[in-house]
Amino acid sequence: MGRIVLKGITKSFGNAEVIHGIDLEIGEGELVVFVGPSGCGKSTLLRLIAGLDRPTSGRIEIDGEDVTRVSAADRGLAMVFQSYALYPHMTVRQNLSFGLENTRMPKSEIASRIDEAGRMLEIGDLMERRPTQLSGGQRQRVAIGRAIVRNPTAFLLDEPLSNLDAELRGTMRAELAQLHERLATTMIYVTHDQVEAMTLADRIVVLRKGMVEQVDTPLGLYNQPQNLFVAGFIGSPNMNFFRIRATGGSAELPGGLKVPVPCDGEVTIGIRPQNLKLAVDDAPALEGEIRLVEALGAETVIHADAVDGTPMVTVLSGQPALGAGQRIRLTFDELPHLFGTDGMRLNPH
Amino acid sequence: MAGFGKTLGRAVTWPLTLVARAVDPPLRVWQRWTGTGGMAAVFLAPNLAIFGVFVLIPLVLNFVYSMTGGTGILLDQRSFIGMEQYGRLLECEDYTRRITCREDQFWTAVTNTATFVIFQVTLMVTVSLITALILNRNIRGRGFFRAVFFFPVLLSPVVVGLIWRWILQRQGLLNLITVNLGLEPEVWLNDRFYAFAATVGVSTWAHMGFYTLILLAGLQAIPRDLYEAAEMDATPPMRVFRRITLPLLGPNFAVVLVLALIRGVQIFDEVYVLTGGGPGTSTLYLTQYIYEVGFASILRNPGLAAAASILMGAVLVVLTLLQLWFSRRAEGRRAR
Repeated sequence: MGRIVLKGITKSFGNAEVIHGIDLEIGEGELVVFVGPSGCGKSTLLRLIAGLDRPTSGRIEIDGEDVTRVSAADRGLAMVFQSYALYPHMTVRQNLSFGLENTRMPKSEIASRIDEAGRMLEIGDLMERRPTQLSGGQRQRVAIGRAIVRNPTAFLLDEPLSNLDAELRGTMRAELAQLHERLATTMIYVTHDQVEAMTLADRIVVLRKGMVEQVDTPLGLYNQPQNLFVAGFIGSPNMNFFRIRATGGSAELPGGLKVPVPCDGEVTIGIRPQNLKLAVDDAPALEGEIRLVEALGAETVIHADAVDGTPMVTVLSGQPALGAGQRIRLTFDELPHLFGTDGMRLNPH
Repeated sequence: MAGFGKTLGRAVTWPLTLVARAVDPPLRVWQRWTGTGGMAAVFLAPNLAIFGVFVLIPLVLNFVYSMTGGTGILLDQRSFIGMEQYGRLLECEDYTRRITCREDQFWTAVTNTATFVIFQVTLMVTVSLITALILNRNIRGRGFFRAVFFFPVLLSPVVVGLIWRWILQRQGLLNLITVNLGLEPEVWLNDRFYAFAATVGVSTWAHMGFYTLILLAGLQAIPRDLYEAAEMDATPPMRVFRRITLPLLGPNFAVVLVLALIRGVQIFDEVYVLTGGGPGTSTLYLTQYIYEVGFASILRNPGLAAAASILMGAVLVVLTLLQLWFSRRAEGRRAR
């Protein structure tokens, strides 16, 4: 249970179309993350699946049943909101039981579900408190608990960790991953944080301007980005791009380092900062001048300008003795990513 | 052009600059001497002076008048009689029969006012809430309707009274409509029931925009997420209203209730213009009674009117304190 299919989904607000024909299949028990920059339509898409908004055209199926015109209440889904949306005048117990009472469930069943969720999320001793008396993390647990007690077909989570501090976010992220493993229920998770996406997802859906750019596993996206946008969006620091004219089956990077290219003409070469290393011999290299050095202890992030002025970033392990204004010569072992003039991937990798 | 603007600006600010320069040195000395607390007193002083002259002194004078007798207006023409006016107002042989009271008109006004307040406040709060709920929805022409419902608040109470008298009088608009519909014309304002209903309805019409606005602000402060969470939980609309909207609207509701109650007890202008307290004394409310006893009747008695207004003030203070206690308790419960 929990297979969700989107077929040709579009959504317009007035004359502005914000979702442009999305097709997507989410498998049973899968944790799929929608990721993308602000305004890419990820929350809108989640609301369409939830039934809080109606698509302008297209079809939404849950377990093979067309639910496009079915109300949010009857889709059997549970949502965790960015703001938690806990009822401030109710206790934690009342917040958890509120939705179940609507279904005229026996009180004993409600009590046992609440106790189970309380044990699972370690909020059993907070049951008589109100949301204002809870910390951010505790509120988050209650919001998740409210979704769990309903035993839904799928969980929809709209940036659930964005209001937490960095440390708590890390802890909650791990707990969410464990929770998904234990419940084995389909989860759709919206975030703009790629670390959350990479660590939690079975598959990631990268969205931009209301369209799906790529759907793949986290490592699939990292290793084989299908276009320039995905290549630049996934991975931190961002991938370095060099626009070069290739001739005779190779392209020459600033500094003279040659890269084999399957075609002639304009190409974009993408190299991840982690794949660059200091050149140790006098062979042709990627050359530039260091602009900024960020020493993080275990690794050092170096911002430089290549000899043709293209900005580039590299992450070197350890604490190399380098400073701003110095020349730097870099090389790499892995074949770089190649993109054509249309921004699409050229090499199969 | 820029030069002209500069000159104009200087001309406008010149008197202010002069005043500022004149008061600056003594204020600096005062601040050094008394600290920021003393400066606060300086800035509060003008307001306190106005409050003192127009509220505090009249209040004290009113209390003094309530313990004097005679028909003279000036205090030196009046004699001190202690609590006699209060005794006169409150003295009854049988409190269940108004006719046995020494000042039976006062008790008529009290009973009428209490009845009016019960009906008017209930109607006002209900209608304002329903209107606010409708205006809070995403309906077409929402801005227009908000303006329409608020418009009567901008009218003077006398204008409100005149408009409705023109509608309800014997040859008024309402009778014109009923006659055209083939019905018998009704003497609306000469009938005890209709006249009372008219005072309740007209005052509600005149003031509901204000209360609607307060409730609308409260409704808009409730996060949309809460309603969406309830929608995901398949909560029926009435349960959403009862369990989410009403509790979260509590503080605004308390404000509306207190204000409506106070204004209900104080009702005068529009009713005086509309019915003049009639027919008979069926719409004679407390403020009109005070006005007539103090200023309008031949045997005017300012002392008795002052005593009645002190009693009315005491009732209002008690009601306000009660409401504040209830609303604070409700807020405290929510915060716990």
